[in-house]
Amino acid sequence: MTTSIKKSLLIACAACLALFVASCNDDDASSKQPRVGAFFIAVTGETTQYILQADDLESGNLLISDNVRELEQTGYTWIFNDDPSVAVGLIYQQGDPGIGLGFAIDGEKNLLDPAQFIITSRFTSYGFFDKYALTCVGGQTPASDSSRSDYVTFNFINLENNFSLTDRSIPTLNITGNGGQATFSGIADMGNGEFLTGLVVSAPKDPSAGGGSSSGTIAYPDSVWVAAFDANLNLKRIYRDNRISYSSGRFRSQYYSQIGRATDGSVYVFSGSYESATTKPCGALRINKNATAFDANYYFNIEEKTGGYHFRKVWHVDGDYFMLELYNDLTPTATGAATRYGIVNMSAKTFSWITGIPAYDQITGTGLPAPYNGKIYFPIVIEGEYPTIYAIDPVTSTATKGLSVTGATSINAVGRLTR
Amino acid sequence: MKHSIISIFFLVACVVPVLAQRNIARLSGRVTSGDGAPVMYASVFLKDTRHGAMTDSDGVYNLSAPVGEYVLQVSVMGYKTVQRKLSLRGRQSLDMVMEINTVKLEEVVVTGKSTVRQVNETAFNVVAIDARPLHNTSMSLSSALDRVSGVKIRETGGVGSRAQISLNGFSGRHIKVFMDGMPMEGMGSSFQLNNIPVHLADRVEVYKGVVPVELGADALGGAINIVTRQARSTYVDASYSFGSFNTHKSSLNVGLATRAGLLFQVAAYQNYSDNSYKVKSKLLDLTTNSYSIEDRWFKRFHDNYHNEAVILKVGVTRKAWANRLLLGVTLSQEKADIQNANLMKIVYGGRVRRASSVIPSLNYEKRDLFTDHLNVSLTANYSLSRNNNTDTMARQYNWQGEYRKKSSRGEGSYSMSEYNNSNFHAMANFNYRPSRSHGFALNNLFSGYSRKATDAVANTENSTAATFMRRTNTKNVAGLSYRFIPSERWNVSAFFKRYDVKVRGPVNVSTTSTNVYEEQQRSFSTDGYGLATTFNAAGIQFKASFERSYRLPSENELFGDESLETGDVGLKPENSRNVNFNISYSGAEGKLHSLYLDFGLIYRDTRDYIRKQIEQRYGGAYYTNHGKVRNVGLDVEARYFYKSLFSVGGNLTYQDIRNMERYAVGGAELIYYKDRMPNVPYLFGNVDVAWNFTDFPGKGNLLSIGYNARYVHSFFRSWESEGGDIIIPGQLSHDLSLTLSFRNGRYHLAAEIRNITDEILYDNYSLQKPGRSAQIKVRYSLFK
Repeated sequence: MTTSIKKSLLIACAACLALFVASCNDDDASSKQPRVGAFFIAVTGETTQYILQADDLESGNLLISDNVRELEQTGYTWIFNDDPSVAVGLIYQQGDPGIGLGFAIDGEKNLLDPAQFIITSRFTSYGFFDKYALTCVGGQTPASDSSRSDYVTFNFINLENNFSLTDRSIPTLNITGNGGQATFSGIADMGNGEFLTGLVVSAPKDPSAGGGSSSGTIAYPDSVWVAAFDANLNLKRIYRDNRISYSSGRFRSQYYSQIGRATDGSVYVFSGSYESATTKPCGALRINKNATAFDANYYFNIEEKTGGYHFRKVWHVDGDYFMLELYNDLTPTATGAATRYGIVNMSAKTFSWITGIPAYDQITGTGLPAPYNGKIYFPIVIEGEYPTIYAIDPVTSTATKGLSVTGATSINAVGRLTR
Repeated sequence: MKHSIISIFFLVACVVPVLAQRNIARLSGRVTSGDGAPVMYASVFLKDTRHGAMTDSDGVYNLSAPVGEYVLQVSVMGYKTVQRKLSLRGRQSLDMVMEINTVKLEEVVVTGKSTVRQVNETAFNVVAIDARPLHNTSMSLSSALDRVSGVKIRETGGVGSRAQISLNGFSGRHIKVFMDGMPMEGMGSSFQLNNIPVHLADRVEVYKGVVPVELGADALGGAINIVTRQARSTYVDASYSFGSFNTHKSSLNVGLATRAGLLFQVAAYQNYSDNSYKVKSKLLDLTTNSYSIEDRWFKRFHDNYHNEAVILKVGVTRKAWANRLLLGVTLSQEKADIQNANLMKIVYGGRVRRASSVIPSLNYEKRDLFTDHLNVSLTANYSLSRNNNTDTMARQYNWQGEYRKKSSRGEGSYSMSEYNNSNFHAMANFNYRPSRSHGFALNNLFSGYSRKATDAVANTENSTAATFMRRTNTKNVAGLSYRFIPSERWNVSAFFKRYDVKVRGPVNVSTTSTNVYEEQQRSFSTDGYGLATTFNAAGIQFKASFERSYRLPSENELFGDESLETGDVGLKPENSRNVNFNISYSGAEGKLHSLYLDFGLIYRDTRDYIRKQIEQRYGGAYYTNHGKVRNVGLDVEARYFYKSLFSVGGNLTYQDIRNMERYAVGGAELIYYKDRMPNVPYLFGNVDVAWNFTDFPGKGNLLSIGYNARYVHSFFRSWESEGGDIIIPGQLSHDLSLTLSFRNGRYHLAAEIRNITDEILYDNYSLQKPGRSAQIKVRYSLFK
């Protein structure tokens, strides 16, 4: 309801703007402005991050100096939302808060000055939910009790209120009833006022555990728990199962989301079986739309299809196609090199390696891909070349080389902004 | 390195007997000025003969000549020439006291310059600044350094803020700082250039690119040596200053030298400031956590800084077994509120940093050890420093000093971390000058380092098991130099340096997703060399110097960060070919006008920068040698004096520092090939004017007015070819000072206004420095 009002307001604004522009510019005679859009490309030069824009990712070349903005800080993690259409830059570095950025475009596709907000707590997982961009981090010490460190701190960034941010912390001790504390991995909007997050349940973190994570020893590596919360962080229910290990892709202190919603509204919960102690192969379970338990009839043993390779990151492409980032080695090492890519069809339970992208041992870096019009646009850098975006067709699992950015060392993220 | 020590002893043992002849007599002694300070580089001659010597940095000379009757003449610029008849036979010692050339006032300009100028006239590209004229100011050592050509001090804020030295475009680990020849690395942040007052120093020497062996370090881009007051006399010097932003500074220096050769020195000082200056920034709305669009002015509210230090020295001088033996201890501490992050709009209200250090030291000097002209000095110190960072508040502040409660602890991240560092340095220096035309020096510096974290609340982000494991690092730098002095007109020095580093610490040896640590040892060594020469003719001095200099890989670079970075013992050291050419002129027209001009050309070709590379196909980060930077720079200095009543001078530095690496590590062409290095000031200068009014007000008093202006041209923060728009703007600031000295320089009253025009000053992007400020200082000084 509110969104539709908002939409109509937006359209009205756009129409006014179009009229105004039209009266100034005789060449542009169209009085009815269609919805406009452009790709937002976050790139890194030697160290500095810049924003570029492009209309098409399938081909062409941009120069890094074509950038429309130099950013004050580097190291942003970008996430893109459809409605409202925004790019949110998240950052938090070395014990200092970061300045979050919220970008949108105007009716002429020009990038507007970003909203700036402070992100005062570290985040290891993030996503969109309802009208919020949400981040969370585990292992936090609450203001009320300095002897505990089991809290998860959330930042709620309100996309409908100029990116205003509020933070809340909740305790996780014994959240599943099996003891231990939890770190949350992934934010997946159920579309019904609830979001899902994977629980990485561990003993309280032992300072000597290492790796910079907030998780200690995992007591139940053969179990998966997914929590559903509402907007007030009330725990609505916990989805439990023993067919896969916990749902989280871990790298350094990060917990990458392995939960994704297919176009039909069903949610797939993946597990990359990161824990070396688990006996469960990498796989996925399904939560049907509005269901309160895992679909007992659905189980997808992905590891069987990948030839034993584990995966770390999962992105939704289109329909029930997802793209996976898999480890280079059959036994992932502490450094966690992962530059192999494949497509899974969750209903057909198929897996295929992506062809047409550079070989895994050539890839020096990748960026956040953008799903758009049935394809996924994936930035890849290989040794000796500038970063290039590959357009991947999930149906054929093939990629074609698209736009590149001369002078950049990496394309950190690509997403589409519309108005 | 051990071999080099042995070989120099062999050299000494072989050469000495050859030189010993029966009819040759030897004369040695010390030349001091009225206040007991050594007169360096004075020429000591037997009149109408070719026998003579030059005093060293302690004012000591040694010469030999056939037995006979002579007139000894000692002369140096700025002092009255003195003569003494003597009949020379056997071994004799004769100390000489020199009187300052002109009226007392000259000390401010001419004699002050002259000591320093002597340093400047060595073959090295060195700029020595006399700190004494600055003793009436409330400056720190780093602000004094900022006046040297080629040097830019980049401060992040007010009193006690972090100060980065940029020397010919080099900074950080590429420049080494010494105090009296000992490295200041590891002395702790409570005892560094940004918080040591200028009056602790006699002079500051800045060696550009080519560093003499006496300063033992892997100084890729140059070295700075702070020479502290060495007065052997009895003196009292006390001061107090008060200024804007509730700034209080005081100091007390007392020295006592007895006839029996006992020596006591105490130097104590204190700095305190609220640093409550105004800054222009954005306001954070605490209900929405979003920033205002427009900038506003705010007063800093959590930036209190204070530090205190005491330096005690006790010892003896002029004993048969030691020319000097000093035992000392330096105690220092500091506490700094942290007001903002590296972007000024990120504000803190409770974060605090504390540091303290204890540095016992020992210094032994003996001249003519075993044989004449072999001088030995041994120095050792041990520093134990403690650093603590506290961030425990569950609050988010904004620039109005308001806060909202956060749901978790830590304004940044919850921490009460504490790091203890201990450093040990031992230096041995041998100087052998068998004749007027040959000189040898051997210098060996051994440094040891160990660090251990004792974290009360582990910072979950940054700590790993390895954080709590011990790591040690030892480094040895040995240098040997030979100096050939065929005539007064020219001399040449050649030197060789040997660097060894050994590190021990935890290394991640895991082959699975769980980290496994093992203590390992790795070592690394390399050799460097250089040459310096100078030629004098008709008041014009030419200098040329060259050094192949190095920066050895650090502990992290050899070892990795113990979790996801891998170190590499196969790294090459960062290396540079540093070349300097200087031409300087100093001359006087009659007694009224004198002029000093210096024109320096520098060339730096620096390669094999050690860079951290992250490649997704390898997962973690690794280190590699990559990069070429060339700097062709120009330092120009000019100064005019009208008697000692007026002087005007200035310097200008231009450095064309460009990236000469054409390809990235992976092979892609770099868009910024031949770009100017970003975030490095490349055009800057100083102008200063001084007026002195003698016998005003009244006889024996002196009024001095000083003016200083600084200019920095704007520079890009990132590579220009990347097309960014963030720049650090060009800035011009002016300072004015007024000093009244009464009763022949015993009492001083000084007033200063800094940044008169209240310019918004930045040395670093976003980090604003203080606007206009004023200080008043009272000082009492008595030299006996």
